[in-house]
Formats: sequence, C-alpha cells, structure tokens
Amino acid sequence: MGAGAAGAWIAGRGLEGGLWPELAAMQATPGSAAASPIILSSNENPVGPGKVVLDAVKAAFGASGGPAGRYSNAAGALTDAIAKKFGVKPENVALGCGSTQLLRSSTHLFTGPTKALVATIPAYEECAGYADMMGHPVRAVPLGPDLKMDLDKLADASRGAGMVFYCNPNNPVSTYVGARATRDYISRVNRISPETTILIDEAYFDYVTDPDHATHVPMAVEDPRIIVARTFSKAYGMAGLRLGYAIGHVDTIKKMQDLDAATGNSSLNVIAMQAGIAAISQDPGFIAAERARNTAARDFTMKWFMDHGMKPADSQANFMFVNLGRPAKDFRDACAAKGIKVGRDFPPYEKTHCRISFGTMEEMQKAVVVFGEVLAKKTEAAA
Amino acid sequence: MSVSRRGLFAVLSGGDAQSATARAPLPSAPPGVVEIRISSNENPLGPGKAVVDAMMSRFGEVGRYPFNNLSANEGNLTAAIAAKQQVKPENVVLAVGSQELLRNAVRAFTSPYRHLVTAAPTFENCTKVARALKHPVVEAKVDSALKLDLESMLATVRGAGLVFVNNPNNPTATVHGIKTITDFVERVRRVSPDTVIFIDEAYHDYVTDPAYQTAIPLALSMPNVFVARTFSKAYGMAGMRVGYAIGQPDTIKPLERLRMPMTLSVFTVGAALVALADQKHIDDERARNTAVRDFTMKAFVDMGCKPTASQANFLFVDIGRPAQGFRDACALKGVIIGRDFPPFENSHARISIGTMAEMTKAVDVFRDILRPLAPSNAGKGRS
Repeated sequence: MGAGAAGAWIAGRGLEGGLWPELAAMQATPGSAAASPIILSSNENPVGPGKVVLDAVKAAFGASGGPAGRYSNAAGALTDAIAKKFGVKPENVALGCGSTQLLRSSTHLFTGPTKALVATIPAYEECAGYADMMGHPVRAVPLGPDLKMDLDKLADASRGAGMVFYCNPNNPVSTYVGARATRDYISRVNRISPETTILIDEAYFDYVTDPDHATHVPMAVEDPRIIVARTFSKAYGMAGLRLGYAIGHVDTIKKMQDLDAATGNSSLNVIAMQAGIAAISQDPGFIAAERARNTAARDFTMKWFMDHGMKPADSQANFMFVNLGRPAKDFRDACAAKGIKVGRDFPPYEKTHCRISFGTMEEMQKAVVVFGEVLAKKTEAAA
Repeated sequence: MSVSRRGLFAVLSGGDAQSATARAPLPSAPPGVVEIRISSNENPLGPGKAVVDAMMSRFGEVGRYPFNNLSANEGNLTAAIAAKQQVKPENVVLAVGSQELLRNAVRAFTSPYRHLVTAAPTFENCTKVARALKHPVVEAKVDSALKLDLESMLATVRGAGLVFVNNPNNPTATVHGIKTITDFVERVRRVSPDTVIFIDEAYHDYVTDPAYQTAIPLALSMPNVFVARTFSKAYGMAGMRVGYAIGQPDTIKPLERLRMPMTLSVFTVGAALVALADQKHIDDERARNTAVRDFTMKAFVDMGCKPTASQANFLFVDIGRPAQGFRDACALKGVIIGRDFPPFENSHARISIGTMAEMTKAVDVFRDILRPLAPSNAGKGRS
C-alpha cells in the first residue's frame, strides 16, 4: 500500500464531524423534509440506551438540576462497576471521553518517531490520524480478499512496531477474526516483536454472532502489551454521552491514566458517568436483546443486497460494507437527496464500496426501497 | 512562534489535584451531617430549570453522536458563542472544560527552551502540566493585596512561551481592571512579541468592579493573545465539562489542533445553547452571589479575619492559622472548604460562596472554630 493511499485514509478521518455539505444544508433549513433523515452513517444504536439509563439520567440531574453544577466524583463508582462486570480489579480499568481518548492515549504512549503504528487499511482512523499528527510513522496493511484482516501480513508489519491497532470487528469493513486466530496472532507478535503493544478495539463486540467469539480482556489483564478498548457508543446506545473505557494490565493502565492526568477524568461529564454505571450494571438481557434486534435487521439488509446481485462483506457488526460497483459518493449523495444518510468514503475502497449502518427494521425496510431506486436509476443511466 | 513536536508530544506524567481521579475521592462530611460543599467554586444552584429541562428533552438523542444532531452539535455551539461574544466562529475553539485549554496551551506554546510565566498562587493546572513536561516554569508571587503582580511577571517574560493570567485570580479572588491588563499585554508584546498571553476569565460573570472588562476585544485586536471562558462557574455546569477560547484564528489554531475530537455530550451542547441565550439568568446569579459574598466577607471581618477584595464566587481569607487544621475542623461539622494554596497554606483558606442559607450556617461553624484564637488573630490580621 503506497503512502498516497495511507494519506487519503488518514485524511478521511474527521469527515463525520458535522461539517459535511449535506448536513450543513439540512441545518440551514430547519423544519424541511430533509431535517429528519434516516441516519445509517455512524454505526449507532438506533434505539438508544433504554429505560434503565433514562432513569439514571433523571436521577443524576436530580430534582433541582444541581448535580450538573458540581464537579463530579462519579469516576470511582463507574470504574468499580466496569471492573465488577468483567471480574477485574478497578486498577485494570481506565475511563475515557469516548474510546477516542483511550485510542489517543495508547497511540501517544506506545508509538514514536521510530516506533510505527500498524493498522489495516481501512480501519477506524483515530489511531493512525493521531500518530500522523505526531509525526510518527503509520504502516497501513491491506486487507485480504474477503475484506478480513490478513494476519500474516499484519504480523509481518508488526515486527518492530510501537503499537498495532487491531479493530475487531473491523470498522468500516464489518468483518471479524475469530478468537482463536486472534490469540494465535497475538502470541506470534509477542514472539517476533516482544516490545510491541497490541490495542484490541472491541467497540462492536456486543454485535458479534460468530460462535468463535471471546473477549481478550482476560489476556489484557495479564499482559502489559495487550489493551482492550470498549465504548458505550455502540450497543449501549450512548454515542451522544461520550464514554468509553480500556481494560489492561495494571502497569499499562497506570501509564494511560498518568498521561491523561491533566484532562483524564475531568473530560467526563457527570450525566454520562451516572448513565454508564446504570448501563453496565443492568441486566445483560439488554445487550442480548439489542444484538438480536440488530441481527434481524442485518440479515434482512444483507439478503436484500445479495438478492440484488451485490456482495456485502461478512458483517459481524451493526453495519455492512458492500460492493456497489460504483463510487460511494454518488450513491451517498443520491440517498441523501431521498432522506437516507449512509457512510462516508473509506479509501482505498471509495470507488466501489459503501458502509451502511443498520437502523431499526422499519428504517431498513424504507431504506432498501430508496437503495433500489437509486441503484436502478444509476444502472439505467449507465446503460 | 515555533511549536516543537517534542514539546507537543512529550509524555505527560504526574497527577493533577483538580481532576477527580478514580481513586481519590473528594472529602465529605461525616455520616448523618448535612454537607455544605463550598470547596470548588461551583454555582450552588446548578444551571437552572430551563437548562435542565433542555437537557432532559434531549434524552431521545442520546444514541446518536453529537455530530449527527441537527440542533445540538459543536457547529451550533460555536456559532452561538460567536454570536454571544460578537466574534466570528473562526475566533472560537471549544474545549471539554477550560482544563483542556490550560493543558493544550502549555503543550502548544511552551518547550524546554520557552518557559511558562505564571503566578503563585494561581490556578495550578498550567504549572503542573509544564512541570510534568519538564518545561521551565517561572512563578511570580502575588503582591501585598494578593493581586497578580504583573510587574514581576513582566520582568520574567522575555523569551517565554506562555504567560498565564487568571483574572479574577483563583484562589486569591482579586481582579485587575481592563486598563491594567491592556497595559500589561502591550508591554509583553513589546518585550517578547512571540510570547502567547492566556487570559483565563473563568470567573468573569461574578465580577462587580466597574474597572474590570473582558479582554476579548484585546485578544481579537492582536496576535498571540487569547481569552478562556468556562460554563463551570456562573453557568452552573461544572459537571457537564465545556469551555472555550477566543482569539485570532492563527493564535488559537494550535489549541484546535490538539483538541480531542467529539468530547462534548449532547446534553452538554444542548445545555450550553440554552444557557447562552439567557443573560438575565447570569445577571441574577451575579446579584445573588454578590449579596452572599458581601454577607460572608462582613462575617469574616467581624471575626477579625481579613479577606481579599473578592471579585469572584469565593473568598481568600487570612485566618491566621494553617488551612489544613481549619479545613478538617469545618469538615467534621459538614462544611467542606478549599484545599491548600501554597505559599499561603499556613495562613489563608479559600471558601467558595454557597447559597445565603448555606453561608449563614457556614459562618456559624467558622465562628465556632475561629473563636478561641480570635483575639490574637485579630491583631495579626491588621499588622
């Protein structure tokens, strides 16, 4: 993969930041029909966090709203709740303002001018973008033909690297590497490059249905070179609250917390922390139900694309990456004009593939009608 | 102005007393004792009903990233701040509390060769970050009225990367008028034009001295000057984590670049938008604080203890004994006051202004604790 492609990949980062032209246009015309699009562009939970969290938020505001006015000390209780959920010690848990903060602090700590960041291209861009901003080298490793991580290539590139960003399921391609293969990859890197840190981003963990499925939290707690990042932004339905966490070895977590000391927990708002405590402590049935809801919408949408001759990657997440045989931008713009927002460009696949997040079943039923219209029109025009 | 990468990205270490780390709970009252928390310069009433209602109305939006929110995204907030301050959006950079600005200003503008000029005592965040980065720090002790000694600061400013001017100054509560600040800024610009001047106006909304005015017009009129504001004080949103800086676009660009992305929750942005639109609420809060401040200052004067001329929502008062002993005695009675502020920790306590009801109870506690030593203390206070 040439430097040009890696550059485009890194530059793609941040385009979700509320600044796209079509979103700006919608903001400029409040009350227009386009003001309430179906948002299938950001891999969110379309249903939100549910009643348990709502109740916690209400309680956090209090009758007077006073708690919002106080600096919060809820970080300890949230750390304890996360530790309890995973059966680890509070010292194994670092909190972050979204997993963004944890991806940044790991990249800050474990890459350097001679210690590259390794990631597949494409992958979620935060680590590569931050490494690039620091002037640290980025090694972009192409995916295999099925859009899965090519673990042989990844292991070769990992040799001598500062940190590997191992996003599994991988955003934006939605594919997943089984737990056994991941364990083999980790031992291989530990052997050939014992100084290299591996950051396993399990943001979409709760959506995986593959039976060869296990978290790498137990491994991370034992090995200072392994970190697992999690977020409340996906299955927990709290993207708007900005809360994530990392689990790892006590020494690694201490380094991350020291780095963040000046902004660390002071970047977390009190409502998010109280919501997080309620969310992580609630009946695990919430996540099971959300996974089942997503799986049904995923099956429906994937089948629609396959029935129409298009090949999506094997999705194990709440989004799909599908070969439309045409530039994502054309498809995206045409869908946006009909009130459906789909994902941004993901180089080097921007000329062929589009990322589509799964909304509710009702939203997807509406969306596929629009997809059908847009794709048919395009074909006619091309014919 | 040169920004060294090494300076920007050197690994930070060491803690920050002000950020509530997971394992460092705030002090609290003994069980069964009603707590009066006057330790952190918060608005005791919180953000008010309109803001809390605005936050609660956004519960349905929690599942979406803030950039997908059409009415409460960072673009909306930047525009609202710009309109409020009569500046352009490019003059504004948002932050997850003004602490992010304090930290990133030190990262961006100081280096091993470009020192930080600050005061003693003042808000310690910049000092701590500079020390963690091993960038030199020059502290100028406040003057005999416990005001920032701008002449002393000026004497050490040549070649500095950053000057931190907290006006009003936390913890001493004193303020400088706009003429003095303008004169200081102009002289710094003459002596050391590459030095960046950071004017932190966190307590702006509590000032009643007619000589004081914001330095925002000053910041807009020349390069290398910026002003920081926060929603954590008069706006009553310390728990929500939002602040901002205003300056010329080239001056604030490094702060935007170092900013962590996507840090503001949908509740935070929604609350700030409503709060900004209600200046009367802030004017009422200033009047409320002024009345309680007058009452509390008079109570101390009557006890023979001398407070500084407070222009903020806290007092810095000469109690003629170590703050630690006084603080511990107050805590036993449920009154939680400020931490130590060297070099005045053996004589002065910082006490935030609660509600009138809270301060009426608190001064009874203060009187009980201070009474046994009052006669000798009164003599010392006047000497």
